Amino acid sequence: MNQHIKKVYVPMTETAFYILLCLKQPNHGYGIVQAVERMTGGEIRLAPGTMYGSLAKMEKDDLIRFIREEDKRKIYQITDLGTEVLQMELKRIERLYRNAQEGL
Amino acid sequence: METKRTFRIFTIFQYKEEQDYLREMHLSGWKFVKVSGPCIYYFEKCVPEDVIYQLDYNKDGIAHKEEYVKVFSDCGWEYLQDYAGYSYFRKSASETEGAEEIFCDDDSRQQMMMRVCKGRLVPVVLTLPIMWIPYFILFIYCLRTGAEWARCFLILSTGLICLYALLLIMLACQYRKLKKREL
Repeated sequence: MNQHIKKVYVPMTETAFYILLCLKQPNHGYGIVQAVERMTGGEIRLAPGTMYGSLAKMEKDDLIRFIREEDKRKIYQITDLGTEVLQMELKRIERLYRNAQEGL
Repeated sequence: METKRTFRIFTIFQYKEEQDYLREMHLSGWKFVKVSGPCIYYFEKCVPEDVIYQLDYNKDGIAHKEEYVKVFSDCGWEYLQDYAGYSYFRKSASETEGAEEIFCDDDSRQQMMMRVCKGRLVPVVLTLPIMWIPYFILFIYCLRTGAEWARCFLILSTGLICLYALLLIMLACQYRKLKKREL
């Protein structure tokens, strides 16, 4: 993995994390917004400007790929590189959680 | 229907001010219709309502208009128009929970600022050195010949360059203000 990707995405924003997580299955922007709202009990509502910008940037960085278009909605799915980045971030969060537990 | 036109200048880093202006107008019974030409804002009379206006600056979005607008309309934002690279959206405050925006984290707000810089500020800054080239030629010509017309032209261009520099200083201040508020 190149250093640029690592620098930009580890650690990543909560938005980026949920987008990558949701794109394990093919989905479109609004589908992700709804899925995240369900997952977080309505606590996190992703906004469209953030969503569009993130998807475009992640596609450019090869973390996700465009699959097809349905009713003017672009459907994306995570790539191998995206999965690798997500795993790396997950490890970081696990370590964070572990250390917090030990510290408390 | 009663309509109204206003002339307002918002510079590239004043999109927050512009959003607030459109919201205030709607709140006082003037619904935004469009902005066109040299900063002319068109409104029509309406029932006063609290409507949130938001501006995005995304060239990629404008290039893929249908998909771009769809993401916003799915989330309940009405797409209005593009103007000078900015896309205009609005949503009634009664539909939103709290002060909803089209960005939900600082990262994406900062990225929007960077897109504005790249798209609008860089060309403006690059124009300055280009302006110096004819200025110097004129300056040397004026020194050598002392021609009256060249002197007049020189004074005029000096004024223009000063104005331009002032504009850049103003933009730098607005950028700092925006950055402070955003981050």
